Amino acid sequence: MSDDQEPIDFSLVIASSVHDMKNSIGMLLASLEGVMQDMPAANKTQEKHFNTLHYEASRINSELIQLLTIYRMYNKFLPVQIDEHYVVDVLEDQIARNHMLMETGGIQLTFNCDENLHWYYDDDLIGSVVHNILVNCIRYTKTAIVMSAEKEGDLLCFTIADDGPGYPESMLENPADLVEEAQVSKGNTHLGLYFASRIAAMHKQKNRHGYIKLENGGPLGGGVFKLYVP
Amino acid sequence: MGKISYQKLAVLVADDFSSFRSTVNSMLMNLGVADVDTASTGEEVIEKCDLKRYDVVLCDYDLGPGRNGQHVLEELRHRKTLAITSIFIMVSAEASRNIVMSAYDCEPDDYLMKPITGMMLEQRMARLLKQKSVLRPVYVALASGDVESAMDQLIDLSLAEDRYSVAAQKLLGQLFIQQGELQKAEKLYTRALEVRQVDWARLGLAYVKQLKGELQTAGEWLEQIVEENPLYLPAYDVLADNWDKRGDRAAMQATIERAVDVSPMSILRQKRLATIANDNEDALTAVEALRRTIKLGKLSVYGSPEDSFELARTVSNAREKRLELPPGAATEAMQELASVAQAYPLSDEEKSQMNLLQGRMFANEGKIGMARESLRNAQHDFYSDELNIDVDVDRVTLLLSLGESDEADELLKFLQKKYADDQDALEKLDKFLTEPASEINKELVASVNREGIDLYSVGDFDRALACFEKARKLFPKHVGIQLNIVQSLIGKMKEDPDGDDLQEQCLSTLNLVDGLIDKHHPQFGRFARLRRRAEVFLR
Repeated sequence: MSDDQEPIDFSLVIASSVHDMKNSIGMLLASLEGVMQDMPAANKTQEKHFNTLHYEASRINSELIQLLTIYRMYNKFLPVQIDEHYVVDVLEDQIARNHMLMETGGIQLTFNCDENLHWYYDDDLIGSVVHNILVNCIRYTKTAIVMSAEKEGDLLCFTIADDGPGYPESMLENPADLVEEAQVSKGNTHLGLYFASRIAAMHKQKNRHGYIKLENGGPLGGGVFKLYVP
Repeated sequence: MGKISYQKLAVLVADDFSSFRSTVNSMLMNLGVADVDTASTGEEVIEKCDLKRYDVVLCDYDLGPGRNGQHVLEELRHRKTLAITSIFIMVSAEASRNIVMSAYDCEPDDYLMKPITGMMLEQRMARLLKQKSVLRPVYVALASGDVESAMDQLIDLSLAEDRYSVAAQKLLGQLFIQQGELQKAEKLYTRALEVRQVDWARLGLAYVKQLKGELQTAGEWLEQIVEENPLYLPAYDVLADNWDKRGDRAAMQATIERAVDVSPMSILRQKRLATIANDNEDALTAVEALRRTIKLGKLSVYGSPEDSFELARTVSNAREKRLELPPGAATEAMQELASVAQAYPLSDEEKSQMNLLQGRMFANEGKIGMARESLRNAQHDFYSDELNIDVDVDRVTLLLSLGESDEADELLKFLQKKYADDQDALEKLDKFLTEPASEINKELVASVNREGIDLYSVGDFDRALACFEKARKLFPKHVGIQLNIVQSLIGKMKEDPDGDDLQEQCLSTLNLVDGLIDKHHPQFGRFARLRRRAEVFLR
């Protein structure tokens, strides 16, 4: 072995390790859901433990997926594949993916979307944004979440609102700025929002880019996340 | 969405983990599906699909050692085992569907990311079954060969502006092209692009332009598509055809190489790369592509003994033409030939080919005794009536490698008669002959010669030479082309008697022709005249 061999590309090592972790968490989640189905919680404490296990595993899972996607974004290996999709499908997919989490958490979900609304986007990427935000809302909401999608002018707007404490004042101004490198290095990652704003911006049509917006109040008086796709 | 009767569905669940199989099984039971089978390996999925028609196959991408979900899908599609209305859903823990789908040749009907839940499964199945049932009459019409009716139905569906209209438009565009209705296809794609610049319609429009002969425009559009979406593999395939039609074999190879980088697991693209690299006499790339083809072929339905044969031919050819080879290629080719009988059941013809190619490898190493032994082992009577041009070509090549040119000539004469009615076979013989035997190549030689002679007569010797050289690559034994090259070189030497290599090129071509003909050949007089004229410049 010589001294002048290629240094290991650390980001590649991390990426493949994240990939393995994600697969393990996937297995863990599936087994956990099996256990919860076969042996329903006998009491409140057990139920609470189940919920925590399930929620935290889901959160790790979606964070790992995010990391992988961001890795691909940096390596310019994340092409956007735009096609026409029915908006209701992408929302239903994410509700289905997370419905057990909401059910065990006793969260009431309201869902408004015209069955015939269709739009142009990469459903894989938009699906993962909706998933991340939904998992986050499940964490912070008290009792309810409202998900909706509708046309606003020449943009499609996804809205995910909850009745939790809302987003901190500092985040409302300009959510994309929060994830400048300086912020990330301070440990204040907001990785989910960074991810969402990047994916939104990757969707463009006639010089218009997609973007995200955070508000407080909204239909349930808590936090409101909006994703606009041109 | 209409009601789906889950009770009637037959579903196959494949995963190497039993916990996953039982979880999905119970999810399906909760939906009311009574008929659920399971499989834990790729082989098992294929066996079960052979025995029973499943409405839905839920197959994990990762099936442990051996075949993965893509190999399974590839084989099921290739052998048409899946019913046209069946649904194949790939399940995987991979986060990006694009990455899983684009690495291969075959697309599943849908993709589900693990972990999956009962509700996800229900929604997805309902959506896909509905779509299949809407498109079912179209597929039934296509299966019975009634393209007209399929197109009529697709026109209605694509105008409906519902969730099935895009799928209908995509299929309709392909059918228009297949039926030669280029105007209709162009209109369809243009209309789709008025709404949004979607890749499928951009590719469709570029393809239509290409078929109409607007190669330059189509090429530019295709370049732009792969630039913006490097994972969109069908665009590379059309772009490679584009370079092929424009006669730029180097650019064609470069395009296929790009596609192979994106989809290293696609065996069909590896094979295509090997073919073009061999045409370009790039043995390094051809050997590498064939190595990967052989490796992928072990699990793929597209693997065949021919892959190992092609490696041996590439290596022998490179040695005879003194092309650069990767280290160890010869040993490897020999090993592949020796083990091909274990990997595949060989037909008699394939056994002959294996022996002939082994013989050629021996001949190249100077092991003449062993080469003759292999030739004997190839058994079959050379002058048999059995038709297999590929075996015959390997036979001719081995005789030539052994220096048995008289015997090779005899065999070639016999083969020209044997395949007198088979133009495809004659084309394969042409590269050994002094005059092409197939109609298409006769025309090709004639047209290249015309073009070259026109250029020669206006004194453009360089372009005339390039033209004749291109033809010589295809027909290395064609006397007329060789003599045209000599004549053009003389033209150049008159202008510039000390030009680079001109004398050397002229001499080697003359020597080549000298070896090909004797004084009874109709072109001998011309050859003798040109030799005299050339001698003025040759010192």
